[in-house]
Amino acid sequence: MGILDYFKPVDTWPPEKVRQFLDEKSPQEYNLVDVRTPKEYEQEHLPGARLIPVGELETRWKELDRKKPTITY
Amino acid sequence: MEGGIHAWKGLRATGAPEAGMAYFDPAKKAEELIALAWMLEEGSCKFYLEMGKKEKSPEAVALFRELSDDEEKHKAALFNIYQRRSGKDSDPGFPRSLLSLESGVDYLEGGIFLKKALEWAQGKGLKDILEFSVSLEVNAIDLYIKMERKVEGKEAKEVFQALSNQERNHLKRLTAALEKG
Repeated sequence: MGILDYFKPVDTWPPEKVRQFLDEKSPQEYNLVDVRTPKEYEQEHLPGARLIPVGELETRWKELDRKKPTITY
Repeated sequence: MEGGIHAWKGLRATGAPEAGMAYFDPAKKAEELIALAWMLEEGSCKFYLEMGKKEKSPEAVALFRELSDDEEKHKAALFNIYQRRSGKDSDPGFPRSLLSLESGVDYLEGGIFLKKALEWAQGKGLKDILEFSVSLEVNAIDLYIKMERKVEGKEAKEVFQALSNQERNHLKRLTAALEKG
């Protein structure tokens, strides 16, 4: 990740738009990332979400396919 | 996503990232993931079969029978891919020996014992059973998406993709039945 990536705009979608997007796409077409803690993830998460706690994003972002849209929560 | 998970009104899965897979010791090889999926399909198949016998309404009976039949087809698809990958036409040890599981114990998604689930269902009405079935399907979708990521090989990935898509259809049918009351 380069310094310019920090200046890229990020859209914030309302939950309904996310839901519609997830319904219309297959899980192979997007990255869905839960950035909360493992304990919070265990309690509940969106089906198919990957757990990458926010503190680990800097080192683990390569696990995500950059060609696909990424949704985080 | 605006508001995070607290704003999410859709269904939610539960369990750790490796839940389901981890319950039976981490299944690392593709064959082990396939065996694990087969075991869970077997559990769901038996659960739906029993619910079909228990329910009185023709609609509920038909729904559970269809779900059970579908899970049977999923088992066949999984065994088929196992045969191709292992090169074995038959394997009496499949799937339990691959997972070091004792015989005679059936499991559902999330490591729930089938026997316990059937006991629980005895005194429950259709709404409770449908809600429980929805949670099973949500966790199955969650697991299959993760398995698809983890498993190697195009063919096995396609099987897990197909399974997660078909479980999504199950979920739609179950939620429609719940909404109908």
